[in-house]
This record gives sequence, structure tokens and C-alpha cells, in this order.
Amino acid sequence: MTPALTVTNMSKSFAGPRVLDSVTLSIEPGEIRALVGENGSGKSTLIKILAGFHVPDDGSAEIDGQPLHLGDGTSSEALGLRFVHQDLGLVDNLDAVDNMALGAGYPSFRGGIRWRQERKRARAALTELGYDFDVRRPVGTLAMSERTALAIARAMAPRHTSAKVLILDEPTANLPAAEAQRLYKLARRVADSGIAVVFVSHHFDEVFELAKSVTVLRDGKHVTTRPVAGLTEDELIELVIGRKLEVVEHDAKAAERKAVVLEITGLGSDVLNDVTFAVHAGEIVGVAGITGSGRDEVAAALFGGRDRAGEAKINGKVVPKNRPDRAMAMGMGLVPAERHANAAFMTSTLRENITVVRPGIHWRGLILRKGAERSDVANWLERLDVRPRKSEFLMSDLSGGNQQKVVLARWLRLEPKVLVLDEPTQGVDVGAKSDIHKLVDEAAAQGTAVLVASTDHEELVRLCHRVLILRRGRIADEVSGGRMDHDLITAATIGRDQADAT
Amino acid sequence: MTVDKQALEPDVEPKADPAAARRRNIAATVGLDRFSGLYVWAALILIFSLWVPSLFDTATNTRIIAGSQAITAMVAMGLIVPVACGAFDLSIGGTVGVAVCIVIWFQANGHGFALGIVVALVAGLLIGLVNSFIVVKLNVNSFIATLGMSSILSAGTYWVTDGSTVSNGISPHFTAIGQNLLWGLPLPVFYMLALGIVLWWLLEYTPVGRYLYSIGGNPQAARLAGIRVGRITTSAFVLSGVVAAFSGVILAAELGSSSPDIGVPYLLPAFSAVFLGATQVFPGRVNVPGTLIAIFLLATGVKGLQLAGAPSYISSLFNGAALIIAVALAARATRRRT
Repeated sequence: MTPALTVTNMSKSFAGPRVLDSVTLSIEPGEIRALVGENGSGKSTLIKILAGFHVPDDGSAEIDGQPLHLGDGTSSEALGLRFVHQDLGLVDNLDAVDNMALGAGYPSFRGGIRWRQERKRARAALTELGYDFDVRRPVGTLAMSERTALAIARAMAPRHTSAKVLILDEPTANLPAAEAQRLYKLARRVADSGIAVVFVSHHFDEVFELAKSVTVLRDGKHVTTRPVAGLTEDELIELVIGRKLEVVEHDAKAAERKAVVLEITGLGSDVLNDVTFAVHAGEIVGVAGITGSGRDEVAAALFGGRDRAGEAKINGKVVPKNRPDRAMAMGMGLVPAERHANAAFMTSTLRENITVVRPGIHWRGLILRKGAERSDVANWLERLDVRPRKSEFLMSDLSGGNQQKVVLARWLRLEPKVLVLDEPTQGVDVGAKSDIHKLVDEAAAQGTAVLVASTDHEELVRLCHRVLILRRGRIADEVSGGRMDHDLITAATIGRDQADAT
Repeated sequence: MTVDKQALEPDVEPKADPAAARRRNIAATVGLDRFSGLYVWAALILIFSLWVPSLFDTATNTRIIAGSQAITAMVAMGLIVPVACGAFDLSIGGTVGVAVCIVIWFQANGHGFALGIVVALVAGLLIGLVNSFIVVKLNVNSFIATLGMSSILSAGTYWVTDGSTVSNGISPHFTAIGQNLLWGLPLPVFYMLALGIVLWWLLEYTPVGRYLYSIGGNPQAARLAGIRVGRITTSAFVLSGVVAAFSGVILAAELGSSSPDIGVPYLLPAFSAVFLGATQVFPGRVNVPGTLIAIFLLATGVKGLQLAGAPSYISSLFNGAALIIAVALAARATRRRT
């Protein structure tokens, strides 16, 4: 039988090391193949090459025996390669019919669109995948699994050629467990019709549940392709991270338990579900989890930047939800992720960026005393070693690491009882990163309760007394003391979750 | 801003080539970057003084320019506040018109002008509240919300005045507010200066001013810095509404009469001045002194051209062109700062 997809000696580098290094693989029609690997292992680069988005340095690919013109998006389309990207590529305020038409157009169009015919076609395509919902509803109002189904229906819709290979890029990243189950059924249905299905995933439980075979990439190289049957989860984790998972004993941060400062009960959001924990004075607690685990929602939900269910208390007093100002007044500080969007005032001075929280400290005699403000700011710039140390420079004059220090200084200046950090060293160079870590340590030493959500597991090991592991919106595990280790945290975040298997 | 960053701070990565930096420094020492408007203004005065000396270069002309621009300047300064926090208020022209109608209507119908003034200011406050309700609570784009409001206010003034000019029963004490002179200048010039000082203080020397600019710079970051974005935006609309109403009261006192749509012509010059002002004094940021410089620069240009024999429509032409050029310059200034 001709393989549905073969990739031969595919290589690619972006001005530097090879992100894809002589990768060869082949997939049979009707096979479900999982593609796994850490961030930066080359999965997305490979998919983007197949989609015609990147031109490879070397290598070739064939679809059903036909050579693919690399670097040409229309070629993969014409040969029957279909993609569902992680963000699904749907337009929220259009309905299912219009979204189906994106890319392929309206097949009924002859001087006018026959809407009834289009709706019928869309309904039929969805029914075939086992879904039935109102195709006239704006896509933004659909459940995530319904949207995923729509994106798949669109990818599978007949074009000039029929689909031969369906590539799903982390299709369950944003799906709750129950909806993920529906997607598995859907993928099996597609495979049963003779189409090869490739799916990229970080959820190892679904690799075992859904895939027939698995391909592991590491540092741009093909590590292995083997049947899932007979493979254990520990073996797979080992293949992905490239070394045996061993628990190294090291000097863990001794946590001296003081009074509880931050108490979270039943925290819930889009993804988070009944998350309960407490942070003590002087303690640094980490939050780890893969995309879709809810890790990125914890900080904002606590501070009031996004809606939440459940209760947060500081020293026994309830912090109202959706009220960042109240959270701040009660002694909470937030260094949010994505500095440019959420924290930095690029066209304002460093002084204004730091004193934007409580400028009133320098308000005396009906005047904001800029002299006092400047020396206050200069003091903080020096303590955090921000360069250049000029309070009147603009935020945009600084490098990323220094900008992040300014945002941190903003909150340290208030001596918060609770400091919440979301990806505190995102896009920050090594030197500034270690400075930031020291500052967080110092704040904790002075009794601040610190919560750090991060995808950088080395950072969590460096900073935290213990790390909460989130999987599918729930706390699935806690790593602390001697068990604290980068690989172990990584393994825990992607590990099979018995409790969630439904 | 006049220091050489690279020389003082060896750790900074050089951002621009040295030659360009040097050119900018020379420009900075003579204030060309921040006070270019003053230079242009001086140049305009010089040109027109030489061109039409008998008409331009007189105390009367100075008084006319100062007096006629005081209202525009006050409306513009009120507008700075919402613009600082990233919201447009296109209803200020309409609010001026409403205030004029109210104070005149009260007098024409035998009520005291003091009551009229109070009611006009309260009307300005209510207009600001309604605007902010639409923008903050209903999440309507401020441009759309206040454009609609402007049209509604215009309809309101026609309804109250029946579309006709009212000028009977006006108290001379009321017109004195707008027409008397002090040290050779009309009183409104002093109201303008007083208002300017208050707003300059508000924007530069109070926490609220800091919040306004922060919201304008990055609303999401402002919210996550514990600023009550909705509340501050509401105050901004209320303030611009009250200031516009106050300007309307003074305008009514100057004119001693009301007619519908009297306020609308103040909208465009006010916007031009605010955006042109954002290229001055604190480049990239709307501000009070910059706006005042812009107002008088534009007025001097228009008046000079009129005295030199240009037709009256030159004023619209000049203001329109200035608005476009000002916004383009402001965008450039912001780009250079980021």
C-alpha cells in the first residue's frame, strides 16, 4: 500500500542551529499517528513546512505517492493535505456556514449564494462527524469541541481533491476532558474512512488512548517511531526528554512554615476547576502545567484581571473578584504575563511606570511632589540594578529584562503581602533573570507570600518551596522538597491523569 | 531630554546612529523639538507684521485674537482630559450650544442668569455622565457614542429655541461677564488662563492626571495596576462636559444672544489644537500648554491671512489642514518615542 504521507530527510534552520535535522517518517492511510516532543523539538516547524509556510533547507515529501512542492501552500492543498491549527482559524462573529466557506468559498455560488443549500451542506458535514448544532449561530457562542469539530469539518470538506492526510495541531489543548473524548471519537471516525491522521499533543494520556503509533522528535531529530502498544508512559517520557527520569536529591529550600497569608478555595475559571490551596508568609509556591491546564489563568483570576469562581482570602479577609484595585488595596501585587500588553506603559517614563500604583504617596499640599517621586524611583532603580538608571527615560528605551525589573519594582515598592508572578522572566535575558529571582527571594524572606506561575520549570525549581501541578484545570499533584526537579515537574505536567480518565 | 544617553550610560545599547543623535541634540538645546510651535508662532507674527503692518500690528488686533480664541481654548482644554485617557468627546460642540441656549432661555423667560448658569453647568455634567455611561457601561466606542450625542444635543437646541435666535431680556450684568476688559484684555482671556492652570495642575500634579495618561497609554495595564479605569473615564467625560458648558456660558455672555448650532463650529478647532498641542512641550502626549500654543498659532495664522485679504473660508481650510498635519506630526513624535 502507498503511504499516505512520507517525509524524507527534512532539514531546516533559522539563522543558527538546525531546528529540524534530517527527519524521515511515513504514515499509512487510516493510521492515527501522534507526534510528540518538548517545546522547540521541531514539531511545529515540520507542520509549517508541510503547510507550505516555511521552505525547508533540504528534504522532500510525498502525499499518496505524489511529490509535494515544498514552500507552496496550494500544492499541499491540491494533494489532499488538510490542517487544523491550534487556534482553529475560525472567525468568531461569523456562523458555521460562513466559516466553512473561508478558504474554499461557497460551492453554491452562481451569481448569488444559495443559503439554504449551504446550510444543508454544513449540517451534513457536521452530522458526518457526529455533531448537530445550529449552523446559524455565531461560532463564538459554540462550545470548544463544537468549534474544533467545525474546523475539522472545514478541513475535510470536499475541494478539488479529496482529503488524504489530516493534521491536527494540539487539538485538545483548550478542551475540557469530556469534550476531548468527543474529539477522539471524531478522529477515529476520520481515520476509519481511510484518511491518515497526524496529531500533535502534549497530553500523553491521549497519545495512549487514541494513537496507533507515535513519532518522537527531540532537538529537531527523529528519535523513534513505534507502535503505542507495548510502550509505557515512563518510557515515552524518557524518549521525549532524552534521559532517564531520575529523582535527584538536592538541597531543597527549607520551608519555615509561618502563618497562612493567601487562602484560595474552589478557584474556577474557563479552564480552572475547584482549585484549592494556601500560601504561607515567606513561602514561594509555584504553579506548573501545560497549555490548556489553566496555569495561565491562575494569576489573573486571583488578582481580578479575569472573571473567576471561588474565594480568595488575604489574612482571612475576602478579596472581591474582578476588582484589581481592591486586590491591590488589600496587599496583593501582580506581575502579569506578556509585559507589553498587560504591564508596560511604553510611552511613559520609568518614574511613571513605577509610581503608577499609588502615586498618591508623594501627594502633599495638593501637589504631586515630583522631586520626592524621582528620588523614590531612583532608589528602586538602584536596588533592582535597572539600566539605564534614569527615572526620566522612557520605558521603550529599555531592554526586556530591564522593563521587567521596572514592573517588579512597581509592586515591590508597595511591600505587598501577596505577590503573584505570571511568567516573571518571559523574554528576559539570563543576567536579569537571575537578578529577578534574587529579588523574589528577598521579598519572600521579608514575609511576602509569593505565587509563581511559569512554563520555565528550571525557574520553578530555582524559586519555589513547592510546586502545584495543574492538569486539565485541577491540581493533580504537588512537588516539593527533595523531589523538586525540572524533569520531574515536566513529567508531572504531561503525566497520565487517572482521576480524569472518563 | 537634552542629555546624551549614550555618553552617560555605557551599558545602553546604542539605538540610533550617532550623527542623527547629534542632530537631535542640537535641535533639543534650542527647543526645536518641544517648542517648535513657539518658533512658528513668532515667525507668523513677524511675517504678518511686515505684510499688513497697519492692520495686524495693533493692540486692537491682539485683543480680538485673544478674545475670540478664549472660548475655543477652553473647549479644547476640556477635551484634553478624555483624549488623555484615550477617549474622544465629539459632543463638546453640542454641549457648548446647549449651555448657550440654557443661559439665554432662562433670561429671556424672566429667570435670573445665575440660575441659568447653574442649570447649564449641571446640563454639561449630565451630558458627560450619559456619554460615559454609553462608553463605559454599554461598551460603545467613544467616537460613535459622542458623535450620536452631538446630534441629539443639536436636536435639543433646535427644540428649545425653535430654531430662531434669542436675544431679548439679557441682563447687562450677564454680558459684562463676557465683554468687560481687564488690563486691556477681555475677561474670557483670564477665565481661559485660570482654567488652563487648573487643568494643567490636574493633569501634571495630581494622581488622577497620572491615571488618565496611564489609561490612555495602555488601558489593560492600567487596570492590572489597580486603576479603576471605568471610574476615571467617567470623570474625564464629566469634566469635558462641564468645561464645555462653562465655555458655552461665557460664549453666551460674549454674544448676548443664542442661536441653534452655535457651538458646533468649536469642535474642529478644539480637536486640531489638542492634537497639534500633543507635538509640543511634552511631545507625544496631549497637554495644556501645548494646546494653548497651538490655538494661538492657528488663530494668528487665520487672522493674518484674513487681514491680508484672504476670503473668510480660509479659517475652515486652515483648521482642517492643521488637524491633519498635527495628527501626522503627533504620530511621528510618538513613533520616535517608542
